[in-house]
Amino acid sequence: MTFVVTDNCIKCKYMDCVEVCPVDCFYEGENMLVIHPDECIDCGVCEPECPAEAILPDTAPGLENWLKVNADFASAWPNITAKREPPADAKEYDGVTGKFDRYFSPNPGQGD
Amino acid sequence: MVAENTVEPIIQRSSRLVEDRRISDDAIRRLVDAFYAKVRCDPDLAPIFERAIPGDWGSHLATMRGFWSSLMLTSGCYKGNPLAVHQRLDGMAPHLFDRWLELFGTTCDELFDEDVADAFRAKAERIAESFKLALFYRPDQPWQRRGP
Repeated sequence: MTFVVTDNCIKCKYMDCVEVCPVDCFYEGENMLVIHPDECIDCGVCEPECPAEAILPDTAPGLENWLKVNADFASAWPNITAKREPPADAKEYDGVTGKFDRYFSPNPGQGD
Repeated sequence: MVAENTVEPIIQRSSRLVEDRRISDDAIRRLVDAFYAKVRCDPDLAPIFERAIPGDWGSHLATMRGFWSSLMLTSGCYKGNPLAVHQRLDGMAPHLFDRWLELFGTTCDELFDEDVADAFRAKAERIAESFKLALFYRPDQPWQRRGP
């Protein structure tokens, strides 16, 4: 049982979630965050904090691919616990659909 | 376990309860103090806790106030790895989580109106289920979730 970061985080990366997470289970890629499924305690605190509404419980339908993205990249990217400035053009990409295929980067972000 | 289709309304209701100051640091302090007073008298739970935190209840209560403040008030007060703490404990068993939830629910009912009690209980049940899965779930054995 875990929460999962999904498509609308890509190129938005607002990072409000990392400050409220009690177990510091967010990991930072170049243009999105993911949740480590083995560290998330399913508390749900992050879900309403995400301005992009990109965080969903893994019980929501159709999230299998996102579960895998979160699990795979949480092990590869650095931990992030402190919010920084989101990308300057975050708002332009907020709500754009199908961002994974066009913009997803497997490169790590800078982390804490 | 919280049914899937009730997750969102519970989050919205919790947020209103916080805005109305019905869930506050003071409510959390009363809940934590009353709940752990019960735990320390409980024949099933007391031995586990007394082994884990011998003579250090003041600091544990402060930690738990911070934990619940982070969960209910999104204060960010608590940062830690509670799952790892539970994984290190001797004598853990699934039924202890059920007993924990039972005592926690009773304490909530004694202190709060039903909607506030439900908000605390829903959060506790989610996290307990997550801990139970992490501690005890094995793919080759049957798993029974708690009922809705």
